[in-house]
Amino acid sequence: MTTGLIFDIQRFSVHDGPGIRTTVFLKGCSLRCFWCHNPEGLRMTPEVQFLPNRCIACGACVVACEHGGQHLDEHGRSFTRERCVACGKCVEACVAEALNLAGRHVTDTEVVAEVLRDRVFYEASDGGVTLSGGEPALQPDFARAILARCKAEGLHTAIETCGNVPWENLAMLLPFTDLVMMDLKQMDAEKHRAATGVGNERILANARRLAGMRVPLLLRTPVVPGVNDTPAEIAAIAAFIAELVSLRAGAGNGVGPTDISWELLPFHRLAADKYRSLGLEYRARDLNPPPRELLAVLSEVAHASGVPVRAH
Amino acid sequence: MLQTSSAPIPFTLEARYKALRATKMAHTAEKWQIIGAMNHDDWGLILPPPEAREIVQALSGSGVLINDVRLKDIPIAVNHPSGGFFGPVAVGRTFRALLERHPVYIDPAASLAGATMVNFMSYRKPHWNPDMDFSHLHEAQHRYQIHSGIGATQHFCPDLAIGLELGWGGLLAKIGYYRELNAPEHDARTAGADFYDGLTDVVLGMQDWIGRHAVAAREMAAAEPRPEVRRNLAEIAEMNEWLISHPPRTFREACQWLLWYLVAARMYNGSGAIGRLDVLLLPYYERDRAAGTLTNDEAAFHIACLLLRDTGYIQLGGPDATGRDVTNPVSYLILEAAHRMKIPANIGVCVGDTTDPGLLTRGVEIMFQDRLGVPKFLGVDRTVEGFARNGYPPELSRQRVYSGCHWLALPGIEYTMNDLVKINLAAVFQTALAEMLEVSREPGTAELWSRFADHLRRAVAVTAEGLDFHLRHMGDVFPELVLDLLCHGTIERGLDAAAGGVDYYNLCVDAAGLATVADSFAACAHWIEREGRLTWTQLKHYLESDWAGEDGERARRLMKRGPRFGHGGTIADEYAMHIARLFTDLVKEKPTPAGYNMIPGLFSWASMIAMGKEIAATPNGRHAGDPISHGPNPDPGFRKDGAPTALAVAVAAVQPGYGNTAPLQLDLDPGLGRDDAGIAAVTALIRSHFALGGTQINLNVLDKAQILEAHRDPGKYPDLVVRVTGFSAYFASLSPEFRQLVVDRIVAET
Repeated sequence: MTTGLIFDIQRFSVHDGPGIRTTVFLKGCSLRCFWCHNPEGLRMTPEVQFLPNRCIACGACVVACEHGGQHLDEHGRSFTRERCVACGKCVEACVAEALNLAGRHVTDTEVVAEVLRDRVFYEASDGGVTLSGGEPALQPDFARAILARCKAEGLHTAIETCGNVPWENLAMLLPFTDLVMMDLKQMDAEKHRAATGVGNERILANARRLAGMRVPLLLRTPVVPGVNDTPAEIAAIAAFIAELVSLRAGAGNGVGPTDISWELLPFHRLAADKYRSLGLEYRARDLNPPPRELLAVLSEVAHASGVPVRAH
Repeated sequence: MLQTSSAPIPFTLEARYKALRATKMAHTAEKWQIIGAMNHDDWGLILPPPEAREIVQALSGSGVLINDVRLKDIPIAVNHPSGGFFGPVAVGRTFRALLERHPVYIDPAASLAGATMVNFMSYRKPHWNPDMDFSHLHEAQHRYQIHSGIGATQHFCPDLAIGLELGWGGLLAKIGYYRELNAPEHDARTAGADFYDGLTDVVLGMQDWIGRHAVAAREMAAAEPRPEVRRNLAEIAEMNEWLISHPPRTFREACQWLLWYLVAARMYNGSGAIGRLDVLLLPYYERDRAAGTLTNDEAAFHIACLLLRDTGYIQLGGPDATGRDVTNPVSYLILEAAHRMKIPANIGVCVGDTTDPGLLTRGVEIMFQDRLGVPKFLGVDRTVEGFARNGYPPELSRQRVYSGCHWLALPGIEYTMNDLVKINLAAVFQTALAEMLEVSREPGTAELWSRFADHLRRAVAVTAEGLDFHLRHMGDVFPELVLDLLCHGTIERGLDAAAGGVDYYNLCVDAAGLATVADSFAACAHWIEREGRLTWTQLKHYLESDWAGEDGERARRLMKRGPRFGHGGTIADEYAMHIARLFTDLVKEKPTPAGYNMIPGLFSWASMIAMGKEIAATPNGRHAGDPISHGPNPDPGFRKDGAPTALAVAVAAVQPGYGNTAPLQLDLDPGLGRDDAGIAAVTALIRSHFALGGTQINLNVLDKAQILEAHRDPGKYPDLVVRVTGFSAYFASLSPEFRQLVVDRIVAET
């Protein structure tokens, strides 16, 4: 039995792989994409979320906090995050549910028990379980244990990875993974670094290695204004994916026309509240979702590559 | 003058749909203005012309006073000092008088004539004959907030095939034949004679009403300059001249005949039971198609004109007596008709092992395209199995069809009182808790459970006594003169359906407020007994003060935050299952004292608000007077992500399992329908709920932002339709507190 850090388990996920799925969100990521819509998944430690609009200023958290992180005085209610050790005592005391602990340590057994609740729905829809995040491959032992147990239960398994992990981590998961969903955000290494905090070399290398194997691969590109929303940038990604397709064919591992496919996902701005609750700056707050017309153009560029592509 | 559509130019089907829909919206706007909020099914009712109408207060379906509109100057055959009219003669005579004075309604854009404008029930004051006293039951009925069903009407299903075969003339002949057999002239004072008098008056009233439409249509045709419109009106005239006495010959005539019967049944006492419309219309469809006299578009349009005038409950597909699926082209046309007309409708799609899966897929597509809460989904295999558990053969069980809000019935042979009889579990719990806190030195959840079980047993017993009382007297108070016409045995025996006229009596007993009680038990077990965060004495104080003060509010939020039914694997989930099982066992333990079978279900209809009004604060953090939980559903907010699968598992786990339903209310985000994968996931969700034991799904696809805006400003979305519970209605027609219930569901779950 292994223990890992997760921040959510979401049942009835229908956009994280085929069919009805349960998505387990593992906490901690090696990228810092400034538009990330799961900011509570970035850090490797539990952290307290504070939702001021729910607070009833009862003061219970002030009493519960042993580190002087919670305050209630004539200026109102405030939270000094620097003092917080994420012990969760204030969260437990908060009856208004204005405080939430993002991140809890759980065992693979506990996770699998929750996942199995929806087995009947997976069977009816060819669905299963997806490990997402954060970056699931940053907790390889834990992720592998969950995937292995789910496989043993006969479930379809998928991972959503940013790709920026040591190959060994990914390799540990692959024997128990039926589908790899991996982000490709930008082909230019410098632009990639500017947008995500790291270059794309390791991601591309991992993608090539995955292409040489048999596991179905779904590449995903979040279309983000200023990051990759031009035809040229999408075309560059398309060319790379076409290369992956020939790599797989060359390795004799092609199992079907859709075993490497691609999805374009438009940026959305729904995460603003989460950033606030975590005391994080939301650097994408002024970005607008890409207009429908632009998406249509980009989608055409993507289709021209010959790779099976789906745009939303 | 009533507003009807002017015949559109060009007179194409598409333009006619549009014109009819616009007229419907104008009628609905007028109803908002005159009646106000309508927390019930839309019914398809049109208001009478202003000069002919009067506004009265009447009892609504949920037992509260509402404004209603009646036709003025209807002679009422009062036969009791209370001012009431009771029994078949007085009721038949008064209803006939109403039919003979009911305005003609012909919309030249439609292919069918007729519409209902009043509720006959609103003339009945008092509803119950006070000579028949049941005051000995009042105290317990009040304590447990039992909707006893005494004096309540319809809620069983006629066999429309009888009417289609006989027509009004044939029905009259049948009444005459059996009258002669059972109550010949020389013994005219027998009760049987009275019953036949009442039935005869209904048929004669119908023939008069239809005949006046035929005359009016002829006149309108004569005055109509446009040939295509004139032809439509002439066809309406000819069709109705024939239907005064004869059975329908064509698909269109069959739709017209059904329309007459359905609006009459609706007017008489609100009945909307249709059942298998696809099967009923199939022979006419096949004949006309073979003769080349009917296109699919025309057939869908005739059906749409029928749906426009009555929001009756329809089952599509499902097994016949032998188990063979009855899905046919008309099943799909009915779905398309609703899809094209885009109005409130109550169409249930069967989902079962042998049922055509295409119906489910098409139903889900339409659900996401139209976002009108149409259709709903029926777990037909589970209800067939469940009904058989009462000791009936599967051949009979398969004939029980969807024909009301959450319910099924055997057409023409079963009296059911479906959806009329309810026990408020929260009231039972409230009684048990108050009693324990009053007398017990060492209160605890074990003792609370035992007291709850005792009181629930008593509530079921009192309900059973009430059912017997109703059946003893109902035929003499307000017989089912319209539904009786299309039953097997009523005319033949000279007995009203409530009085022994049909073969089967399976009386519905529903429980309401499951989650309120399960969460209350769990909150006590968790926070008082396990965590020690509250004492029973404190709880008593907080409940009595309705969580007053800052301490009270803190305690309330604490209790609300505990384990909740629906989350899965919690103590609240266990309580919910125990309560459902206990209720089922108590209802099934024995028949009523007079020997009638009872069938348990879990459903609150739209009575969550009314039922909550008299319930004090409950330990689940609910305020005094707030609504109780909805049917078998968990309370909104039971999990952070409100996963539909969690809901589907929870509701499947509390099914009573004897053929009556515990419907899952599911509200989904429109984003799910953005691609085939989402549609496929929803169909899998529906199938899986039924595979787990679920019986029925009421589904909405609602956009959170839109529903919030429509709540703030209802006039902005006049045509937004939601499935409130078993029925669908215009969102803007609902009262603010009702709209709030829908809003709470969406906001908490997305």
